[in-house]
Amino acid sequence: MLFLQQLINGLTSGSLYALIAVGYTVVYGIVQLINFAHGEVFMIGAFGSLAVWTIFFQGQTSILILIPMLLGAVAASVGVAVLMERFAYRPLRHAPRLAPLITAIGVSVSLQEIVRLFYPGAKSPLPYPQIDYVSGTALQLGDITLRRSAIFTVGALVVSAVFLWWFINRTKLGRGMQAVSQDPDTARLMGINVDRVIVVAFALGALLAGIAGVAQGLQTNSISQIMGFTAGLKAFTAAVLGGIGNVAGAVVGGLVLGVAESLATQFIPGAFGGTPWKDVWAFVLLIVVLVFRPQGLLGARVVDRA
Amino acid sequence: MSTVSTPTQIAPTPGYHPSRIDGLREQHGRLAWLLVLTGLVVLAAGCFLSWSYDPEILGNLSISFNPGSLQLFMLTAAVLALVYALAYRGPLRGLGVWIDSAKALMVLGIGALGFMAITLAVVAVTSSGLINIDPGGWVSLVGSLVLAVGGSLLERRPTKDTLHAQLPAWVEIGTIVVLMAMLLFGAAYALGQTDGNIFGLFLVFVVAVAWSLFAAGFFTWLGIVAQRHRRVLMLGAFAVAFLFPFTQNGSDANMSIATQVLIFAATALGLNIVVGLAGLLDLGYIAFLGAGAYTAATLSTSAFATIGWKPPFLVVVLLGAIVAATLGLIIGTPTLRVSGDYLAIVTLAFGEIFRLTMSNLDGNNGPDLTHGPNGIPAIPDLQIGSFNFGDEHTILGFSLGRFANYYFVLLVLALVIITVFSRLNNSRIGRGWVAIREDEKAAEAMGVNVFGLKLFAFASGAFLAGMAGTVKAHQDVSVTPDQYVFLESAFLLAAVVLGGMGTVAGVFIGATILKLLPEKLRFISDYRLLIFGVLLVLMMRVRPEGIIASQRRQLEFHEEDEALAERIEEVHLEEEAQT
Repeated sequence: MLFLQQLINGLTSGSLYALIAVGYTVVYGIVQLINFAHGEVFMIGAFGSLAVWTIFFQGQTSILILIPMLLGAVAASVGVAVLMERFAYRPLRHAPRLAPLITAIGVSVSLQEIVRLFYPGAKSPLPYPQIDYVSGTALQLGDITLRRSAIFTVGALVVSAVFLWWFINRTKLGRGMQAVSQDPDTARLMGINVDRVIVVAFALGALLAGIAGVAQGLQTNSISQIMGFTAGLKAFTAAVLGGIGNVAGAVVGGLVLGVAESLATQFIPGAFGGTPWKDVWAFVLLIVVLVFRPQGLLGARVVDRA
Repeated sequence: MSTVSTPTQIAPTPGYHPSRIDGLREQHGRLAWLLVLTGLVVLAAGCFLSWSYDPEILGNLSISFNPGSLQLFMLTAAVLALVYALAYRGPLRGLGVWIDSAKALMVLGIGALGFMAITLAVVAVTSSGLINIDPGGWVSLVGSLVLAVGGSLLERRPTKDTLHAQLPAWVEIGTIVVLMAMLLFGAAYALGQTDGNIFGLFLVFVVAVAWSLFAAGFFTWLGIVAQRHRRVLMLGAFAVAFLFPFTQNGSDANMSIATQVLIFAATALGLNIVVGLAGLLDLGYIAFLGAGAYTAATLSTSAFATIGWKPPFLVVVLLGAIVAATLGLIIGTPTLRVSGDYLAIVTLAFGEIFRLTMSNLDGNNGPDLTHGPNGIPAIPDLQIGSFNFGDEHTILGFSLGRFANYYFVLLVLALVIITVFSRLNNSRIGRGWVAIREDEKAAEAMGVNVFGLKLFAFASGAFLAGMAGTVKAHQDVSVTPDQYVFLESAFLLAAVVLGGMGTVAGVFIGATILKLLPEKLRFISDYRLLIFGVLLVLMMRVRPEGIIASQRRQLEFHEEDEALAERIEEVHLEEEAQT
């Protein structure tokens, strides 16, 4: 029973990681860039949805509000991601490897600070609104507690994954993305607008990150400007775990990481188990995977670019 | 590039595109020079008049014929402008063939204009409006405007490469000594300013002057001279650093900042080995500083220390360094298999693991080693023999406070680190690192022990950071996990990148900028992180090789720049010829 409960908890947080991890993996697959600031895109999404609620629906709890909130989250995070690509990363596309990585750190710090300084009241964590049906009292199924926000998160992942599969395999742009990730130069010769594909990759990742931002807000009932850092790092771990560059891998990696984390919390005996060590075990897992199976669980193409 | 039609004209310098302003420059050459002279005279004249009605603002600028400090800055700028102008046309023509005086005058003019505009704006804002600005302020503003216009209308002339300038050695050494002295007094003056506005304006002045010297080509020459007299430069820099506490009159406020800068710089130098030389990106480097600090704290005589053994401090330094180096070896092991971005993430994860572990080992979650988030407080001051670092000491009538004591220890430590760094850099090991950084596979094929050298880079960098950490623990009095967050690692990396990868001077400048500015510019303290982030992004776009880059690095970031490549080769040949 305990095992099942932890499995559910793991799948919940894993779904969140998976939603964010897709952003890392799509961008990396196409431009071989670790978009360090992707965690911040997720954070901006959460704040975008909160802004929509505060401005238009203050005090309301109807489930229908969730739709404009999701739209607000997605608009905010996609906007930020596209601007970021255009003004920070694109000029550096042919620069040495270190330059984009340091830019990403700079962007990440700037975004956190912009939210902290200019979003009203964001200097301390802000409460996230309660929405009917998706937050509130948990459901009891026998001994197992099922939080409503967990259902929302997993559901969001399922819908997003189906959408993603359709987009990448069935649309022209998606197939263009595949082509660019295999060979950018040939793709360009074949008439694919590589710049646009890169923007779409950033936007696609941001779309899912925005949804994840809402899910996180519903889960923890409060959001802050620093929530992107750990979540982003975990999601990156998930992306690597599944095989970076591999979209299905990101989803699998996220779920595996989430489950591994909650099982470790529960079943590692003695003083080194329990919540305080949860993140440590996640990072240990990251290092172990990177060292022993850098191509990840699903084995995307091995990228060895120093 | 289009060449100019008139046959008598010398070909413009590479990368120089003629534009409409050049036509203006040709027509009004003489007029522009007269404008410059007029501008600088008016600027200087304004400095002898009163700028502000209120004597309380920006020091005292209200007494005519008794210039305040800001007015002295502008007088200095006017004198410098006079030198440029006379080098352009007049008795100093001999100097003029070496320096681009036209560009320097333009930059200086614009800088002076900016300075005057900000000064007048500050006067107007802090008092009650423009009414409080006295005529002198307006006179100087107009003077700087005329200077800027005249400077930008001067015809640009090609200059000779300062590489071939032959000056007596004593002139070159004299320049270095004078610059060092200016650095010392400039730093002492700047740190003595409690008024954020004056400090900011001093910064504007320094940047304007430095930029104009840069435009004139002075720093290119200085770089060559510094290469030639490396020992003098090192000695001079050390003397300045050593004399600095004596200018502070026992005041601890600035010394505390100075010690922080030194700790930061020493750690960043260690990181520079890993990132700058070996090209291994480390995003968790602060953990090594933390390892040293925690070692020192747990072995200290603090009542909260968790280990009973109290060895003498030198042993602690060594132990802290060894613990950090061991961690460095552990974190270095994955480099056998991962590289590039993956390595950066592994180090980041490692840094987080370190911080989380330190904040978890509180007795409830694992053994009680670090008291968890509360850390280890009340670490006593160092005591070596009968010399206690907490006491104030008087040497030759100068009193030196607690932070000054630590400052000297850190200075020695920094010297050790610099020596290690430059020795390694110029050795077989250093060349091996550079080879690995450039092309790992080629290096391996040439017989470089890639894995061994990578491990050594991590271990030696960590060793140095660990040493710095042991001193930091005592200087800071307490050690807590939240001193070692990811942001600190990012700051360290930023110091290395901002200053210039692979150079000692660059790292010191980067560290000073990143630690000093937030302390002095308190009024922007809330925005300092935002500024830091934006600065990183801009820096990567504008000058990715850093302020003082090693030339090899510079070439890496500007691969297509043929002229730069040729120049670096020329400099190299010149050096070869001299040794």
